[in-house]
Amino acid sequence: MLRKALFWLVTVIVLLTVIGPLLWIYLTAFKSANDIFTTELKKLIVFAPTLDNFNRLFTDYPFWFNLGNTAIISVVSTAVVMIVSLLAAYSFARWNTGGGHLLFVTISTRMFPGVVAALPFFIMFRTLGLIDTHAGIILLYVYFNTSFATFLMYGFFRDVPVELEQAAMIDGYGRMEVFTKVVFPLIRPGLAVTSVFCFIWSWNEFFYAFLFTRHAARTVTVLISSFWGSIEVQYGPMAAGAAIAILPTLIAAWFMQRYIIRGLTFGAVKG
Amino acid sequence: MGRETKYKTTSETQPFTASRKPSIREVLTSERYFKWTLLIPLLLILLIFMLYPLFYCIYYSFHEWGMQGKPIFIGLKNYKEMLYDRAFLEALGRTLEVMVICIAVELLIGLGLAMLWNREFKGQNIVRGFSLLPLLVAPLVLSLLWNFLLEYDFGAVNQILTAIGLGKVYWWSPKFALYTICLITIWQWFPFSVFVLLAGLRSLPRDVFEAAKVDGAPGLYTFRRLTLPMLSPLIMIIVVLRAMWLIRLFDPLYGTTRGGVRTELLDWKVYRTAFVVFDVGYGSAMAIFSLFFTIAICAIMYRQLMKALGVLK
Repeated sequence: MLRKALFWLVTVIVLLTVIGPLLWIYLTAFKSANDIFTTELKKLIVFAPTLDNFNRLFTDYPFWFNLGNTAIISVVSTAVVMIVSLLAAYSFARWNTGGGHLLFVTISTRMFPGVVAALPFFIMFRTLGLIDTHAGIILLYVYFNTSFATFLMYGFFRDVPVELEQAAMIDGYGRMEVFTKVVFPLIRPGLAVTSVFCFIWSWNEFFYAFLFTRHAARTVTVLISSFWGSIEVQYGPMAAGAAIAILPTLIAAWFMQRYIIRGLTFGAVKG
Repeated sequence: MGRETKYKTTSETQPFTASRKPSIREVLTSERYFKWTLLIPLLLILLIFMLYPLFYCIYYSFHEWGMQGKPIFIGLKNYKEMLYDRAFLEALGRTLEVMVICIAVELLIGLGLAMLWNREFKGQNIVRGFSLLPLLVAPLVLSLLWNFLLEYDFGAVNQILTAIGLGKVYWWSPKFALYTICLITIWQWFPFSVFVLLAGLRSLPRDVFEAAKVDGAPGLYTFRRLTLPMLSPLIMIIVVLRAMWLIRLFDPLYGTTRGGVRTELLDWKVYRTAFVVFDVGYGSAMAIFSLFFTIAICAIMYRQLMKALGVLK
């Protein structure tokens, strides 16, 4: 009995520490300025909800425009990454092309500190006029996500038994047909999971977005970061913006529970 | 060769005749080259996005350049400067400190909670679902959130601490700010360790533990002699991946201290040198250092990691 009580006590405390701060974003988003800066303990949770922050966010700042940028950039870069990594991962998984070394080279791009790529690209993009363009930041996200996606897809391809493909080939299927008609339908769940991951990494990315976008291609994370100014901090609009911007990631996290650990470990641990 | 020779291939079903040169399409989809055809886009991306920046980063690191005019070759001076630059060495030290603290605490929490939750209980899916949430939320948003929560006067955490009689904490004081950043990072990433280790515990063979129980082995002994060794490959994965991510901690700084109050870390230092002070050469040199630092850490555990990932046998 005591053990059970202790078990639930710890579990509840852990859950509260996780959910509390996230919930805080949503509470703050609906608070008036007075309630945000209160020191009255009760008002932390009990307050008169208002939509002021959202109204200010929508009228005073290009929130929807920036969110749109994030969406476009995430979708396009994910699409490109998926095509590249789908082909590459299949090659690695079926033929062990490059004997594992090439695969390691691929994954090591993910280990590159972001700044190593940031500097040369900043200078190159400046000459090419790619700074603050969608194309520029999409290119960076393609670089950023390809190795990850290739690795994750590699794991999913390895789950498809080779015998299936051999059977199809004996039936007279060509290489392309085996891929499109036999393998592809089987790895569709893996494809979905990998795409969602790439989408989220692009959606959340800040460092490159902060360095390479200004106005035209500014993403929503950069907008939110701009509320934390040197003179004052706009907590209200910040919380309102964050509340909307993190919604897709929260939903994805909930529905992808089974795959999160697999994704974060590049497929090494099947959680 | 092995299995590849057993079944029919495109080139066998439509053999190239001696009189006709095979078309590009035929060559690309032939058994011999198909695997490389599939890799063309990836290799292009690797070439452009890996070799190009690497080359230029190394190039700049031997030059002095402020993004204007021509870079001046100065040899190893940038690298020498790093050895005497106190700010850099401190940033490096702090980065190591953050890495050690975060990984150690995350592993401890991870082990504890994984052992605790390694059973069937009511609502386990809900517990799992909620605790995984922070992992996918933008780190930048979370750092802004925690900056707000840990504000001295009206931050919710200090208010709650006062209410339960513990008094306020200067979370962002020069003495404490670095640990506060660790705290934020740990908060976001502890679920990672928990669920990696939980996946490990679930896959351990049950009979071994039952045998240990029958033999009357005490709990702690079983843990040290059975559980920990069997989990060690997973612990290795956690350490390597977390180390990789922690070396380039940037977002949590931007949303909170912006490198002030003695919290400047390696990546922040590089960013400031290259993009704020415009000392491209020195910034590049530090970036290259950071790269080798990462490679060194990964190389130590390269084989184990690749084995776990299933690349090497």
